Amino acid sequence: MIGPWIAAFLTLAIFSYLYKDNPFYKVAEHLFVGISTGYWTSMFFWTQIQPNLFGRLWPASEYSSDSLWYKFYNLLGVFSSVFPGGGIDKGHHMELLYLLPFALGIMMLLSVSSKLSWMARWGIAYTVGMAAGLRAYGFLNSNVLGQIKGSAFQIFNSDLPFFALASESIFNNFIILIGTITGLMYFYFSREHTGNFGKLSKLGIYFLMISFGASFGFAVMGRISLLIGRFVDLITYSGSAHNHATLWLLLAMILLLGYSAFTDKNNTSKDEPTIEK
Amino acid sequence: MDKISDYILKAGTIDRRWIFLIIGLAVLLPLFFPLGLPIRATNATQKVYDAVEALEENSKVLVSFEYGPSTKPEIHPMAIGLLRHLFTNGHKVFVTCLWPDGQFMADEALDEVAKEEFDLTYGEDYVILGFRPGNEAVVKGMVSNIRKLYTTDARGTLVDNIPLMKNINKVADFDFIFSASAGYPGTVEWVQYASDPTGVPLSTGTTSIMVNDIMPMVNSGQVKGILAGMPGAAEYEALIGTPGIGTSGMDAQSIAHLVIVLFIIFGNITYFIETQRSKKY
Amino acid sequence: MIWKRQIPILIATVIGFATLFGWFIDHPGIESFVNDDATQWYDILASFAIFLGALNLMKLQGKKVFKQQSGWQYSLFAIGGFFFAIVAGFIYKGNDAVEWGVHVTSKGTLFKWMFDYMFTPLSATMFALLAFFVASASYRAFRVRNLEATLLLVSGIIIMVGRVPLGSSISSWFIMYLMVLIVSIAVNIKLKDKKITFSTFLGGVLIVTIWGSSLGWPIDQPGLFYLPILQDWIYNNPNVAGARAIMIGIGLGIFATSIRYILGIEKSYIGE
Repeated sequence: MIGPWIAAFLTLAIFSYLYKDNPFYKVAEHLFVGISTGYWTSMFFWTQIQPNLFGRLWPASEYSSDSLWYKFYNLLGVFSSVFPGGGIDKGHHMELLYLLPFALGIMMLLSVSSKLSWMARWGIAYTVGMAAGLRAYGFLNSNVLGQIKGSAFQIFNSDLPFFALASESIFNNFIILIGTITGLMYFYFSREHTGNFGKLSKLGIYFLMISFGASFGFAVMGRISLLIGRFVDLITYSGSAHNHATLWLLLAMILLLGYSAFTDKNNTSKDEPTIEK
Repeated sequence: MDKISDYILKAGTIDRRWIFLIIGLAVLLPLFFPLGLPIRATNATQKVYDAVEALEENSKVLVSFEYGPSTKPEIHPMAIGLLRHLFTNGHKVFVTCLWPDGQFMADEALDEVAKEEFDLTYGEDYVILGFRPGNEAVVKGMVSNIRKLYTTDARGTLVDNIPLMKNINKVADFDFIFSASAGYPGTVEWVQYASDPTGVPLSTGTTSIMVNDIMPMVNSGQVKGILAGMPGAAEYEALIGTPGIGTSGMDAQSIAHLVIVLFIIFGNITYFIETQRSKKY
Repeated sequence: MIWKRQIPILIATVIGFATLFGWFIDHPGIESFVNDDATQWYDILASFAIFLGALNLMKLQGKKVFKQQSGWQYSLFAIGGFFFAIVAGFIYKGNDAVEWGVHVTSKGTLFKWMFDYMFTPLSATMFALLAFFVASASYRAFRVRNLEATLLLVSGIIIMVGRVPLGSSISSWFIMYLMVLIVSIAVNIKLKDKKITFSTFLGGVLIVTIWGSSLGWPIDQPGLFYLPILQDWIYNNPNVAGARAIMIGIGLGIFATSIRYILGIEKSYIGE
């Protein structure tokens, strides 16, 4: 029952920024920061740390009440939601090698203290190294080689017409090839853009500008779509099923912000020095 | 003429809050008074539709939900449209999420389509494997060994006990991938680490802002078509013959775009008059 | 010193090489480690990075409240929101039929309620706010100062109008008449001759009218002036060319930077 009222209030509070920065907006903004941090923490813990880390260190399939390792686990059982009795049943076998990422993770957390901030470097180095290894291959293969292959392949296809507006054609493929090459020429800064090279890189800029214009058009499209989504929700919350929450909250906000603007204006005029005749 | 120019120049310095009000009304009013403008599918949307239609019966389709509530109005309609299309054609759907919010979106979409509309059985017709953090590392892990990454599904059931997951061990065991993506990680990662290395065909639906990043891959054939934002969702709904929330927003989208174009033109007329006057004096 | 500098660089180098060569080495043990376990470790560390971010945020907000810095009252909302989310995530389920772990994605839980009625409206509205600022920027900032800006704006306008249903309803003949008007204005600005301007305008109008009448005024012909077809051509051809050039440039840059990290040349992640 109270949920739609809270949702409508938070939505209108953020929209109130369009009038001016005000306490409603600041409250909503800070709530967003706190709630989203807690949300992400909970999500990542329950979908990764508990099943895939703790589930591999203390799997239910290898539980033994005599083992020292599981005796330690039973002590942790005071947090029964995270460490249920009998081990964690997520289908894993015990892999004590996972103590390494656990140690790196704890080192990361210890870096909250400024004295121990260097400890996070080990975990960060691991993620940086892995990301670099993944991306070196991924971007070279798909973004560079895949795109060059895509540009070159279609040019020599004799099944295509010379010119077509709505479908593939040789002329269109030439436009793409020339635009790609001249665009890349523009990004080559090791040589001065003069003479014929300069003219071609200028042509490249024109293609890039068309692309940026299209991006702008799509950006506008995307933002308007999101706004439509919010308005649809506000309209839903203004219905009788939700006791016209949107309308009451909007009225209250307008009255409060209007009163605040009125008193600010009066205070400003009182503070202005009067000129003595 | 000078008086008209003066009014135009004055209008050019208007408080921006009036602009906010105008654009707000331009979006709000068509939601109450729809115009019913016809929707025409573009080539990019048609390619996605054709790719799905070309799938053999009982194909195994991996659908990845990479969006959250902030981009739901753009992508949720296309996700629902795609699920309708897949279930109508009798395909099996496997859902993963590279974003945590994606799991909520997937639950919502599957409840609406698989459960309520088609009355399908979880574990036999569709399964939600759920979210795993790690971005592209998750995609790479799935390409190598899904079962090491997903020992349980999103509901806590062991994957080995789910009938639909029989003979599914890696990405290459799927017939088609669809990424409903709002950013990173998303379509680009699926292309780089799954589709290109394994050859499994991939289509995508993205937010409007991401479209230009993906278009070169559509053109090169690495991605089989793209659904571009809410208009793309509306076009797909028109192709499958089931208008939904994408279609209902298009009138507001049209009027808002027209208003912004008029703003740009008016702003440039103001600029032109200012330039002429400064040259004159 | 070795703990703070050499070891992190060694870790990045070893893991970087292992991941990179893992794409090419056909050994089951190495492949299994690189593709499965190494990626799991990456996921685990990514999760700990989120926890670190949360701790830092609470440290900052707590410091603000403790020292009563400007706006400290709002920080109470940030801390309160965080603890509410933690209670929903770890302490109070709200639905006893659901197990811990899956409660973060199951219906009927306090966590789901928080997601639906707090997180979703806040997150979605923050992004939706940008629509208003885009409209304001369009009115106050986008100016046709040179050819490049003109190309940008014209392609943006064509995409914006051509991509929505309204664009399908605008006849190509309307666009042709608009082009005649724009050309006449350009001729007037350039030549400043009323006779030539009038002749250009009249000639253009006559040509379009005769052509249109002869074809029966079809809404989507000629295709070059029908906005949906024109925007599709721009979207699929010159736009792809520009986007592809950017994509290849970025791809080469990322490859070069990744190699620099793996070889230990780039050390910005340890603050150098």
